[in-house]
Amino acid sequence: MPAFPLNASERRALDFQRLVGRVLAPMWIPVCVGIMYFVFRWRIEGTQEARRTYTQIRHNRATPVLICANHLTMFDSCVIAWALASPWRNVADYASLPWNTPERANFASTWWKRALVWLMKCLPVQRGGDRRAVGAVLKQLIYLMGRGEAGLLFPEGGRSRTGRVNTQAVTYGIGRVVRALPGCRVVCVYLRGKAQETWTARPKSGETFRISVACFEPKSDHRGLRGSVDISGQILERLAAMEREHFDGR
Amino acid sequence: MDREEAFEKVVKILTPHVKDQTALASASDKTNILDDLKVNSARLVDVVLAFEDEFDIEIPDEDVDSVNTIGDCVKLILAKSS
Repeated sequence: MPAFPLNASERRALDFQRLVGRVLAPMWIPVCVGIMYFVFRWRIEGTQEARRTYTQIRHNRATPVLICANHLTMFDSCVIAWALASPWRNVADYASLPWNTPERANFASTWWKRALVWLMKCLPVQRGGDRRAVGAVLKQLIYLMGRGEAGLLFPEGGRSRTGRVNTQAVTYGIGRVVRALPGCRVVCVYLRGKAQETWTARPKSGETFRISVACFEPKSDHRGLRGSVDISGQILERLAAMEREHFDGR
Repeated sequence: MDREEAFEKVVKILTPHVKDQTALASASDKTNILDDLKVNSARLVDVVLAFEDEFDIEIPDEDVDSVNTIGDCVKLILAKSS
């Protein structure tokens, strides 16, 4: 069993956040998907295969699941959640809808943004901020994933500044989460809009995305920080390989 | 290894990652690595791994959370070395 380093009040706060989001899920999840589908007119190719794969992976609830994806726009997590499960499945199987760690400056700068992301299974983090604060968010995610919730992290720690997966941008956070949860499976997701040349705030209206999904269980013989970096590196390499396949298949 | 020696080695390891070299010239225990020296947070991993190699120590993930200043680094290294 993974260690849960949160105290009782921290655990209660997360359980309450989950409960409120769960109760209101029949409203906010369809609204989010409706905005993406009808307002932004986004479409996704490959959802059938992606959803089948994700459902199979989630079938075994005993082992934690961490989704790791490339990162090009601020809407990636929403599109990924939509691509991996229909809105109705996300409502019915709320644990499959992944917890996300958005950048605080972008998504939690005002009270109403904080309220919205709180509702939508988010744990805002200040990238490059105080290490203890970042570590506290990772501990929250570990706690939730240890209870069967899916998590979503971007291994590059931010949007790909070159428009391609940067295998040099290795952080230790993802490896730390994986190592804290024995048997944790990593679902690598490569998502890219056809018109998405490089990183932007939002995909273009009418964009069509292509998604591919691969699952593996990273292992490392190293211990401590080096082990976490090794695992993060393996995940980035896998995403880079999926990116090569994406462009080869275009 | 004494504190002064550890401090000098920490500064040497940090040097290639520091964007504000003038701040490094006047570095002290209280100098914040990310805010004052403008080290990229992603590069902090490289810095801590370099500590492991240089001082032949192993640093757990959780201990990286306590690394904010040069003094934090020195304290961590001395604790692990002993």
